Amino acid sequence: MSVKTVKPASSTRKKPRTTKGNLLAHAYIWVLILFVLFPIYVVIESSFNPTGVLTSGSFIPSQFSWANYHLLFSDPHVPFARWILNSIVLATANSVIAVFIGGASAFAFSRMKFRGRKIGLQALLLVQVFPSFLALAAIYVMMERVYTVFPAIGLGSLGGLLLIYLGGAMGVNIWLLRGYIDTIPMELDEAARIDGASTPQVYWLIFFPLAAPVLAVTALLAFIGTFNEFILASIFLTDVHRRTVAVGLNSFVGAEFGQNWGPFAAGSLIASIPLVILFLSLQRFIIGGLTQGATKG
Amino acid sequence: MAAVDALLLAMFLASVHKHAVDLELIIAFVALISNYVYFSKRTMPFKFLLPGLILLTLFVVVPVVYTVQMSFYHYQSGNIISKDGAITQLLNNGLTPDAANTSYDMVLGDDAGQFSALLTNPATHISYFATEKAVTTLQPGQFTADSKGDAVGYPGFKPYTPDQEANLDSVISNARFPMPNGNFIQPQDTSSASLLTQSIQYDAKTGVLKNTATGKSYKDNGNGNFANVNNPKDVLYPGWKAFSKFQNYAKLLSDPNIRGPFIGVFVWTFLFAATTVILMFGFGLLLAIALEQNLRFKRFYRSIVILPYAIPSFMSILIWKGMFNTQFGAVNALFHTHIDFFDSPWLARLMVLVVNLWLGLPYFYLISTGALQAIPSDLEEAAEMDGATATQILRRIKLPLLLQILSPLLISSFAFNFNNFNLIYLLTGGGPTDVLHGQTAGATDILITYTYKTAFNGAQQNYGSASAISMLIFIIVASLSLWSLRRSRVLDMVS
Repeated sequence: MSVKTVKPASSTRKKPRTTKGNLLAHAYIWVLILFVLFPIYVVIESSFNPTGVLTSGSFIPSQFSWANYHLLFSDPHVPFARWILNSIVLATANSVIAVFIGGASAFAFSRMKFRGRKIGLQALLLVQVFPSFLALAAIYVMMERVYTVFPAIGLGSLGGLLLIYLGGAMGVNIWLLRGYIDTIPMELDEAARIDGASTPQVYWLIFFPLAAPVLAVTALLAFIGTFNEFILASIFLTDVHRRTVAVGLNSFVGAEFGQNWGPFAAGSLIASIPLVILFLSLQRFIIGGLTQGATKG
Repeated sequence: MAAVDALLLAMFLASVHKHAVDLELIIAFVALISNYVYFSKRTMPFKFLLPGLILLTLFVVVPVVYTVQMSFYHYQSGNIISKDGAITQLLNNGLTPDAANTSYDMVLGDDAGQFSALLTNPATHISYFATEKAVTTLQPGQFTADSKGDAVGYPGFKPYTPDQEANLDSVISNARFPMPNGNFIQPQDTSSASLLTQSIQYDAKTGVLKNTATGKSYKDNGNGNFANVNNPKDVLYPGWKAFSKFQNYAKLLSDPNIRGPFIGVFVWTFLFAATTVILMFGFGLLLAIALEQNLRFKRFYRSIVILPYAIPSFMSILIWKGMFNTQFGAVNALFHTHIDFFDSPWLARLMVLVVNLWLGLPYFYLISTGALQAIPSDLEEAAEMDGATATQILRRIKLPLLLQILSPLLISSFAFNFNNFNLIYLLTGGGPTDVLHGQTAGATDILITYTYKTAFNGAQQNYGSASAISMLIFIIVASLSLWSLRRSRVLDMVS
């Protein structure tokens, strides 16, 4: 909300500023843009390089071929389309469920009074800073046990991985959402209550539509987080058809010898496309969502 | 709710079916709590909290508790199983062939419903009829023999077909035909067997393991192993997971292999986390300010600088690693140099910071922009009225406000980088490590990667001490986060 009011004011005020400042800004931005684009350019170049090397010496592409892309979609040992599908399904499920469950919890933390609320929030934060890679051992043992009875949500299954992701990100999501919900005026709830709305009604009819921007950001972050997650997925998913993109692609370069950068680069590019599109189309929300959650949180 | 109950009931029944008591208890607990919460009228907040709480408890709190518990146990390779499991294995390991390495030709079969065997010692040509209860010596003429003289037929004995044998695989490998003196004959495959002696015996009453072959006695050394009564250093493996009180923690302070590099690693971890956050914040904030200006192509610039955020970070790290390669890397190609970034401690550290800057820049740009926009514009206008210059406004007004607004995010970023396992592990692996001078920690090793190395070094995996280090890291980061949270007064708004 504040975003809209500030912007026109600042831009009209900044117009008369000298071009010297603008020039400096331009120079700085361009340096960073080159820095940002450098690896991306290297990846694009390598993806079309059939030799499998991560860039040769020259910056002008010497060879061009679709071989790497072709390999991803034709080699039966590399079910790349399947990996992408797995990642998208997992990420979508995670972001949707995380928003609903996290939203409900955040609503309770923000709007309701109950014993242990403050402690609960602190505990949420503390649990998040626990070095999680060791908890992996525990999770592994647990899911191995679950597998013996419920293979669908046990070790090696996407369902089990989904549950772990949901649990793992819950704390962050609740904090992020709660910060935003706190900025929604209480008066709205009160007005609805006077009109006879019950708490669940307030939640679904008032809060849910109003919090839509931050819910979208949370969903997006959950989506990206799932897409990027590597360590858990690599330990968890052993079956080649159940791998996520991250785990699958790593098999090209994970080996110390015989690293094959070509397909890795091509796959990375393809895998990044959905994320980049999502990101660019939702960037307005992201800026607001990230800081609202923190500042008012 | 009915659907949830039905699902939980189905899961409960499935666990009962598989005799999984632990899972039964968890499911029953979840079912009870959710029914209470959703049918009672006084639990409104928990109607909203419950699903999140259950997920958090099962997949975050439980593993943390498990880790805490592990840190108090002697728990490493060779000490993983329970004491009973260890004793069973030791007894099995105590099976040794007799001195003469006696073996038998064997025919397996069924005798009046009993698993049995015809055995012939090819050296002495004595044949036996064996069941798991008794072994009787056969006189010539009691059995039919093949051309070698091996017993192949006996009245009432029906040899198994290969199919039957395949089905009885586990029965065969566990079969023991008792012989005098506590010895027994055990099948090695479907057609041969050998004479084994149980050289290790366990007395459950006194808790003493006795090796009858060497005459040594072993007792529980309180540390998860059986040790020779006369020589405590002579321990038997496997051992078991034993409660060790604070030993894992004490070892951090006393073991020179861990303590020595610990301080250096600790300092670098702090330095790395702090520098990286300052760098990312500095560059990100400057970028945010620059992009606040009225520039052409602003939207285009913005879209490009946030690109790294959308690319899976583990991929970016691996790509950067390839780019820093001495011979083929794009970085060296760009500057026409052949610098080995992975060999020099300071270059490697610099590289880690640069790569992390690339990864973190978009995030810091985004939060800086958000915070800049959240600062009320009238503050700036008022300052301008009073004649403040742009730099003054930035330094005196915006920066302090920004720091206040962003401190929770900066702190969480510090905590994140304090444990940034992926970056270090994938990029440098903690190196370079001066192995020649006996170093175990590399120049870029942070606490978490160093823990990983000490705990899971090669074949020896020490979960106990890894958990103890994790606990230390946790205490450091948690107290830091709590302290800064209190200071930034974020939690005051909660009450």
